[in-house]
Amino acid sequence: MSALKGTLIVELAERPCGEYCGKLLADFGAEVIKVERPGGSPTRKMGPFKDGIAGPERSTLFAFFNTNKKSVVLDTANPADCARLAALLARADALIDDHAKPFMAHEEVARRFPRLVHCLITPFGQGAPEDWQIAGPLGVINAGGWAWHTPSETPPDKPPLKGAGRFLPDYEAGIDAALCVASSLYRQKRTGSGQFVDIAEVEVQINRVDCVLGRMLAGEQEPSHARTAYDMGGPAAAFACKDGFLYIFMTTKGHWKGLRELMGDPAWMAEFPEDWLEFSCTPVRVDLFRQHFAGWAGTQEKHVVSELGQKLGVTIVPVNSAADLPGNIQMQHRGFFQKLTHPVLGEALYPTASYRMSKTPVTLTSPAPALGEHDGEIA
Amino acid sequence: MPLPDRGGPLAGVRVLELTKVWAGPYTGKYLAHLGAEVIKVESRTNLDEMRAYGGVDLDAAPYFLSINQEILSVQVNMKTPEGLDLVKQMVARSDVVIDNIRGGAMERSGLDYASLCKIKPDIIQLSIKMWGNEGPLAYQTGYAPCFAALSGLNYLVGHEGEVPRGMNIRYGDSTAGAYAALAIVAALNHRETTGEGQFIDLSAVEAMTSLIGDSLLSWSVTGEVPQADGNAHAEMCPHGAFPCADGTWISIAAENDAQWVALASALKLETPEAHATLAGRQADRHAIEAAIASKTVAWDASALGEHLRALGIPAFRSMSSLDLCSDDWLWQRGGYRMVSDHRNGTRPIIGPSWRMEPDEAKIERGAPLLGEHNDYVYGELLGLPPGDIADLKLRKVID
Repeated sequence: MSALKGTLIVELAERPCGEYCGKLLADFGAEVIKVERPGGSPTRKMGPFKDGIAGPERSTLFAFFNTNKKSVVLDTANPADCARLAALLARADALIDDHAKPFMAHEEVARRFPRLVHCLITPFGQGAPEDWQIAGPLGVINAGGWAWHTPSETPPDKPPLKGAGRFLPDYEAGIDAALCVASSLYRQKRTGSGQFVDIAEVEVQINRVDCVLGRMLAGEQEPSHARTAYDMGGPAAAFACKDGFLYIFMTTKGHWKGLRELMGDPAWMAEFPEDWLEFSCTPVRVDLFRQHFAGWAGTQEKHVVSELGQKLGVTIVPVNSAADLPGNIQMQHRGFFQKLTHPVLGEALYPTASYRMSKTPVTLTSPAPALGEHDGEIA
Repeated sequence: MPLPDRGGPLAGVRVLELTKVWAGPYTGKYLAHLGAEVIKVESRTNLDEMRAYGGVDLDAAPYFLSINQEILSVQVNMKTPEGLDLVKQMVARSDVVIDNIRGGAMERSGLDYASLCKIKPDIIQLSIKMWGNEGPLAYQTGYAPCFAALSGLNYLVGHEGEVPRGMNIRYGDSTAGAYAALAIVAALNHRETTGEGQFIDLSAVEAMTSLIGDSLLSWSVTGEVPQADGNAHAEMCPHGAFPCADGTWISIAAENDAQWVALASALKLETPEAHATLAGRQADRHAIEAAIASKTVAWDASALGEHLRALGIPAFRSMSSLDLCSDDWLWQRGGYRMVSDHRNGTRPIIGPSWRMEPDEAKIERGAPLLGEHNDYVYGELLGLPPGDIADLKLRKVID
């Protein structure tokens, strides 16, 4: 059983944000029909590709964002195809789009399909100046402030960063969009009517930092041009170790006590007040700590030292790479990765979802569809 | 007194939250901002730390006020059997229960899923923990930057050639909270169709891992372990942030060859034949980036962004906290908005990322005073007479 079984969603989206929204809902069991232009969604042209060779069925990016979906090809410049799309919308529950210039204006969607939930994701939201809506993920994460403040403690002469991978803001926007569509579908079940949902990708970015930026808006912390304005201070940081990197987070006397034990209580640690993290965490001490700790960390193995640390109450963790994750015993226990076979990409490990649902588990039942694979299923 | 009708897609849904700090409260906030009635169970004996950070007044704590708009607050001392019983009576009248408290705490209080089902058979319960509710590593604890490090996300974030220092230390909690809200609403849909509730066990680490899903699948197919790569992009060059006047920065992406030509012309860059193709530019990436930086540094970031966007090049000022707070568009569109505030009358907050039409949920009330809704919850929901409520207060069951 799946949570959104029986729900029909039409996806006109062609960017990762809209495709992720569709994927999240498809993975809950909704029937998501991806409508693609002749030649396919632009995301089919983005790599990495199987064996480094481009092709509509060879993109790992497309394969990830489109599991559990169907694909039909329609040319919206062709009146007959437009009529087929309209017929599809007439029997659909929701429509997901992510174009600044959508296939159909939301007023018209609301008039012709009053029961439809219509979600439109754009960089700055409806009503924004046209030239702003060309922002890609790099523009969104910079316009939303996370780039400016990433990583923590970035010096002024280093560039703001785009975050992990190419599409971090797209994932974030996709989550909020899927949440709103699911909420609106719930309302549709109760009232029989639809809603227009207007998602602004930049507003997702600022919402994620509500209790930091919100205090600045309210005048409780001074906003500034400092790159460190979101930081917390303290010694928490990533360090190189023998086999990669580890991360330590410390704020309490208990953390310090545990670390002294873990490190065998070298003489330099006795120079620090026991409660320095709480009451005298000066930049000078933080620097001194980091110098000593970096030397020691270089001799440690990330998984071994993390496990020992955790047992002593020290929040020290490995900075895991992609290759570390499938072997993680907790992820294995929870079945986070799932094997799925794609006709061209072959068998591969797919991350599933962070929420284990007791009655409606998220399951990947089909790989991303071939272009137009389900053309025959629509009239 | 009945509460005002706020509308919204989740109107009529009641959520009980036993949450602290950020991830769990963010879930509650998202559901409330969609119209649900969200009741936060609180107690002076076991306060949400956010009521204490940054001040001495529990009712005016900056962090707390910045998250908990449209949340109701009820006081219950869950360390007393009577208090626990009252919480169970609240569960009986709720649709959803959320917690992100210490592992094992819900079970010890008899608030595990099996017990809640006996009270309310179709209850939806969601728990957020670093590694999830059970399993071989469930004993481990950590904070958001630990989730991000463990998840594989932080490994991909860092300046070229440096230790991957990861996302800003604040990243992680809110995203985990948003995923939790999504799972809850999916479960509400399932309950509406089938009448069946369920237990949802969310791993904050896996929430972070989900955000790099495409990189992980690529690794599984190609065998190449993705690395922290600064602002580099395999399919766009240039792609990055460049210094402007007065310490500001601008992000510029050339999504195709035509945008590169337009950019080079706008900035009066040299354009050797080799740079006409993406491969040629990638081979010379650092030199191209340095050349761009040498030109952008004379520009004001906002003016340059406007200039380049008019040519079709996605170029955006990298926003500082001061830039964000003074951004006209965010104020104008409702990205920021005002809610009520007990001390100052009104307070600006960060609004939701969505607008809905029709029937958007109203967001008007700021975060609650501790116990502000005691009378509503005990009187209206549980139907206790005023004398009983006064007695519970006297005996510090309501504290």
